[in-house]
Amino acid sequence: MDDRYKDRYQVILALFIIGTVVLLFKAMQLQVFDNKYKTGGENIAVDQVTTFPSRGLIYDRNKKLIVYNDALYDLMVTYNQINPQMDTAKFCRLLDIDKNTFEKNLNKNWRSGRFSKRKPFLFLSKISAKKFTRIQESLYEFPGFTPRLRNVRGYPYPYAAHLLGYLGEANQTVIDTSEFYGLGDYKGVSGLELSYEEQLRGEKGTRFLLKDKFGREVESFNNGDSDILPISGKDLITTIDIDLQGYCEELMQNKRGSIVAIEPQSGEVLTILSSPTYDPKSLALSNSDRGKNIKQMSDDPLKPFFDRSVMSKYPPGSIFKTIVGLVAMEEAIIGFSDRLICKGSYHPGGPGTKGYKCHKHEVQVDIPRSLQHSCNTYYWRVFRDIVDQYGESLPRRGLDIFSDYLNKFGVGLQLGTDYPREGKGHNPNSTYYDKRYGEGKWKSGYIQSVGIGQGEIEMTTLQMANLAAIIANKGTFYIPHLAKSFSDTTQIDKKYRTRREVGISSYHFNSVTEGMERVLKYGTAQNVLIPDIAICGKTGTSQNAGKDHSIFIAFAPKENPKIAIAVYIENGGFGNEVAAPIASLALEKYIRGDIKEEYRQRLEKRMLAKKLIKEP
Amino acid sequence: MSDRNLDWITFSLYICLVIVGWLMIFAVGYDDGYEAGIGNFFGTEAGKQTIWIGISLVAMIFIFIIDWKFWQTFSTIIYVLAMVLLVLVLFFGVKIKGQVSWFRFGSFAFQPAEFAKFATCLALSSYLSSYGTSFKINRHRLIALGLISLPIGLVMLQPDAGSALVFSSFLIMLFRAGMPSSYYLIGGFVSTILLLSLMYPIPNVLVGMVLLSVIIFAANTKKTLYPILGSIVLAAASYFLVVKGYTIEALIASFVILSTLGYLLWNDRKQRLVTIFYGFLIVGTVLAYSANYAFNNFLKSHQQVRIDAWLNPEKPGSKELYQVVQSKYAIGSGGIQGKGFLQGMMTKLDYVPEQDTDFIFCTIGEEQGFLGSMSIMLLFLMLLFRLVIIAERQRSSFSRYYIYGIAGIIFVHFFINIGMTMGLAPVIGITLPFVSRGGSSLLIFTLMIALVLKLDSNRYHI
Repeated sequence: MDDRYKDRYQVILALFIIGTVVLLFKAMQLQVFDNKYKTGGENIAVDQVTTFPSRGLIYDRNKKLIVYNDALYDLMVTYNQINPQMDTAKFCRLLDIDKNTFEKNLNKNWRSGRFSKRKPFLFLSKISAKKFTRIQESLYEFPGFTPRLRNVRGYPYPYAAHLLGYLGEANQTVIDTSEFYGLGDYKGVSGLELSYEEQLRGEKGTRFLLKDKFGREVESFNNGDSDILPISGKDLITTIDIDLQGYCEELMQNKRGSIVAIEPQSGEVLTILSSPTYDPKSLALSNSDRGKNIKQMSDDPLKPFFDRSVMSKYPPGSIFKTIVGLVAMEEAIIGFSDRLICKGSYHPGGPGTKGYKCHKHEVQVDIPRSLQHSCNTYYWRVFRDIVDQYGESLPRRGLDIFSDYLNKFGVGLQLGTDYPREGKGHNPNSTYYDKRYGEGKWKSGYIQSVGIGQGEIEMTTLQMANLAAIIANKGTFYIPHLAKSFSDTTQIDKKYRTRREVGISSYHFNSVTEGMERVLKYGTAQNVLIPDIAICGKTGTSQNAGKDHSIFIAFAPKENPKIAIAVYIENGGFGNEVAAPIASLALEKYIRGDIKEEYRQRLEKRMLAKKLIKEP
Repeated sequence: MSDRNLDWITFSLYICLVIVGWLMIFAVGYDDGYEAGIGNFFGTEAGKQTIWIGISLVAMIFIFIIDWKFWQTFSTIIYVLAMVLLVLVLFFGVKIKGQVSWFRFGSFAFQPAEFAKFATCLALSSYLSSYGTSFKINRHRLIALGLISLPIGLVMLQPDAGSALVFSSFLIMLFRAGMPSSYYLIGGFVSTILLLSLMYPIPNVLVGMVLLSVIIFAANTKKTLYPILGSIVLAAASYFLVVKGYTIEALIASFVILSTLGYLLWNDRKQRLVTIFYGFLIVGTVLAYSANYAFNNFLKSHQQVRIDAWLNPEKPGSKELYQVVQSKYAIGSGGIQGKGFLQGMMTKLDYVPEQDTDFIFCTIGEEQGFLGSMSIMLLFLMLLFRLVIIAERQRSSFSRYYIYGIAGIIFVHFFINIGMTMGLAPVIGITLPFVSRGGSSLLIFTLMIALVLKLDSNRYHI
C-alpha cells in the first residue's frame, strides 16, 4: 500500500548525507584550514575570569567622603596548573607562610566534591596591597596561581559605624538564592551597606583570556572585544552631616543611649547614633583583628552591636505630652487657653481621695504652661478626657481614636526608613488592654500613665526625633531617610519625597511650640538656654527599674527650623541633667558651627567628661 | 530470537560508538583522581558509565526475550504512560538549571522526555501501520501530527527546547509514510524565513529573497545567456551594496530588475511562475516583519535574550559564548591528527564545561583530530544508512516506520549535538547518542536499537 512512496527513502538518505557533509566541512574548516585555533602549534585556550566592579563610595551631605575603597588581594590556585618543580621555599617566603600552611591550603579534600583540581579555588585570602606588590613581580614564576582583586572598605572618620554598616562574606543561603553572589563574595551585612547593597555593588564583568598549556595568561582574547566590563557601583550621597555625627558621638562617650537629628523640611537624617559604639575600622575586612573584634563586641555586656536608635523601644516620658495636648485640641477636648488647676497632686476621685503627685509650679496651667512646667495633673486629666469622650463606660472607642493619631505620628509602626532593622515601638490600643485586663474590664484610670508617656507606651529614638520634626513642621513630615542621592540620576524612593500629614490642624501646633519655647526660657530646661537661638524643646524623665532615663526633644530655630533632635540617655537622671545639655550643644554646633560663649564651652567640657558607664 | 538473524552490522556499529564514548569519558575524567584502586574506579564518571553500559546490555537482552508483538499491541498504553510522566515531572521533578526535566529517586535520575521519544515512536508507527490509516484523509494527517505535537508542547513547559526539537525528527518518518511533500516545502520555507528574520536584519533577508527570485526568473527566460549574466552581476553588486550598508538601495535595485524580468516572463506566458514567486515574496516579507514584531512586542526581555543567544551563540555577552568558543578552540587545536589519547590539554584543564556530556565531541576533536571527527561522523552515517536499509527490507509496516523513527531521532541528536560544539547549531542540551555520559540517555538509545534488532530478526515471521 505504500509502495507509492518507496522512492522517498532516497530523499531521506540524501538528508542524512547532506547533514553529515555539512558537519564534516565545518570540522575540516576548524581542524585543518583555520589557523586561528592552533597558534604557534602551542595549546592555547580561552579562559574566562570574573572581574569585580568597584563598590560605590559613600559621602556625607556636604560631599565629604566617609567610606572609600581599599585594595585587598586573594590568591587563587588551580591545582592542575601548578608546576610540580616550583620553588616552594621562595613562594612561602614571599607570602610569609610556612610550608605546613602551604600544604594545607593546597591539598584539599578532593573527594568532598567542594574542590576540583581543575577549577581555581582560594589559596590565601586578604593579602594587603603592600604585600601584594612584592609578590606580583615574581608571580609569573608560579603558574597556577592567580590574584583576585577585592574591594574592601576604608574609613577616614572613626564615626558612624552603626549607620554605615559593614561588609561580610555572602553566606550559602544568599549564594544559592541569588544570581549575583558567588563563594567568597562580599556583601553589605548591616546599615546603609545593607539597605543600598543593590545600588552600591555594581555589576560583575567577564574577561576572556588566552592561556597557554601551563595555564598562563598569554594575551586577551579577541582584543578584549568580547569582554563584558564590570559596572562600578553607584556612589551614595547620604543625608548625614559627618561633623555633627562625630560631635554627637564624642558627646555620647561613656554614656548609653542614642541621638537622632533630622532636617524637618526634608526628613533627611543629619545624625543617627547609638552609644556605646565602635570604630568602623575595627570591622573592616582588611583588619586582621576583625574576627577578634567581633567576638569581643558580641561578648560585651554593653552590647555595642545593638543599635539603640531604632531597635530600642523606650518609654518616651514627658515629651509625649506634646502629642496628648495636640490630640486633645484637635478632638476639641480642651482649648489651647483653657486652664486647669494643679495644686501639686491629682485626685481623680475628687478632693480628699487618693492622689498622684505632681511637682510644684504655678497653679493655673494651659497648654503652653503645662508643657513649660511638664505638669502631670494636666495630662492625666486631658488624656482621661480623650479616652472617656464617649463616656467612662466606653473607653475602648476613645482610646482607639487616640491610638489612630499615634499611628499617624508613626508610633507603633515602622516609619519605613531606609535604615535596616527598624523597630516599631509600642502603641497600646483597646485590643491590647482587653487582652491584658479582660474585655470591658478596664477604665481610663487604669491607663492614665500613658498620658504622661509612661506605662505601656514605647517609642524608638527615631520616632521621637520625628515627633520633634512634625511639631517643627506644624503637622507634616517626610519619612526620615539617610539616602540623599546617587552619583547617577537614580532618585531615592518616592516614599521619601512624599509629604505626609498627621491629621492635626496646623494652628494647634502654635501653642505647643510656644510651650516648648517656654521650656527653655522659663521652664524645666532653663539651664540650656542659648540667648540668640530660639530653641523649642521638651524634657522627659522616664522612670524605670534603675536610675531615670534622661530625654530631650527639640527643634531650632523656632522660625524656619533647620534641625529637630531627640536625645535619649539611659539612666541619665532628669531630662535637663544630660539629655538637654547634649541636645543644646548639638543644635548650637549645627546652627552656628561652633560653641561660642565660655559658659557653653564649660558645659561642653562637662558633658564630654561625664561618665554614666562604670569602667569594668 | 535466533542469533542467525541478528543484524551484526548494526550491532557492531552500536558497540563501536559505546566504546568510543567510554574512552572519551575516561579521557575527560583522567587526572581527576585515578590514583586509588578499583573501589574508587566505580566512583568516577568512567566507572559509573561502565555500570550503565552493563545495565544497558542487560536491558538489550530483555528486549530480545520479549515477543516483538508486545510493543505494537501496547504502544498506545506506553504512549499514554509517557505523556502522564511528562505531566507529572512538571510537578514532582527536580529543577536543574532552570528546567524541570528530571525525576530523582535517591541517586537515580530519570528523564521522562527520553522515554517519551521511544514511546512516541512506537505509538506513531503503530498508528501509521494500522488498518485504515491513510494520508489521503486530512483527519489522519492531523492525528499523526497531533501525536508529535503533544509531547512537544509538554516538554516546552519544562522548558526543554532541545527535546522539543528532537520530536520534530518524526517528520522524517511521516515523510516516508506519505505526508504530502508540499507540507515540507511550505514548512521549510516558513521556518527558514522566521529563523533568518530573527538572525539577520530584515532588509538583508528581503534582498536575499528578491535575488533568489531574480535567479529563478532569469533561468526561465528564453534568451538565457544575458539574463543569467545580468543577474550574476546584479547579485554581486547587491552583495557589495549590502556589505557597504546600502541595503535599501540594493533592495530597490534588485526589485526593479525583478519587475523587468517578471514583465518579460509574463509576456512569455509564464504567468503562473511569476504569480507564485510574487506570492512567495509578499508572504515572506509579511512573515519576516511579523516574526520580528512578535519577537519585540510579545516576548519578555529574558525570553528575547534566550532566543537571541540560541540563534547567535557567538555574540559577545552571551552566556553560551564561552562554551562555544572554548569548544571550537578545543576541536580546532586537535588539528588533523589530534594530540593523542589522554593528551588533550584543554580536556585536562577542564576548559570546556559539560565536556563529558553534551560537549563530548570536543574531546574527540582535540585528542583524535580531524581523522577522529571524521571517523565518528562516518560511524554515525553508516549506522543511519544501515537503519534505512533495514527499514526498507521490513515486511511489516510497523517495523519499517519504527526503524525510520529511530533513525530520525539519532540523526537529529547527532547533527545538533556535533553542530553545537562547532558553533553551527544552537546550544540546547541534547546528547550525542551512545557516546555522551549519562545513564538515562545511553539506556534509552540502547532500548531503541535493541528493538530495531529484535524487529529485524523477526522480519520473516509475518
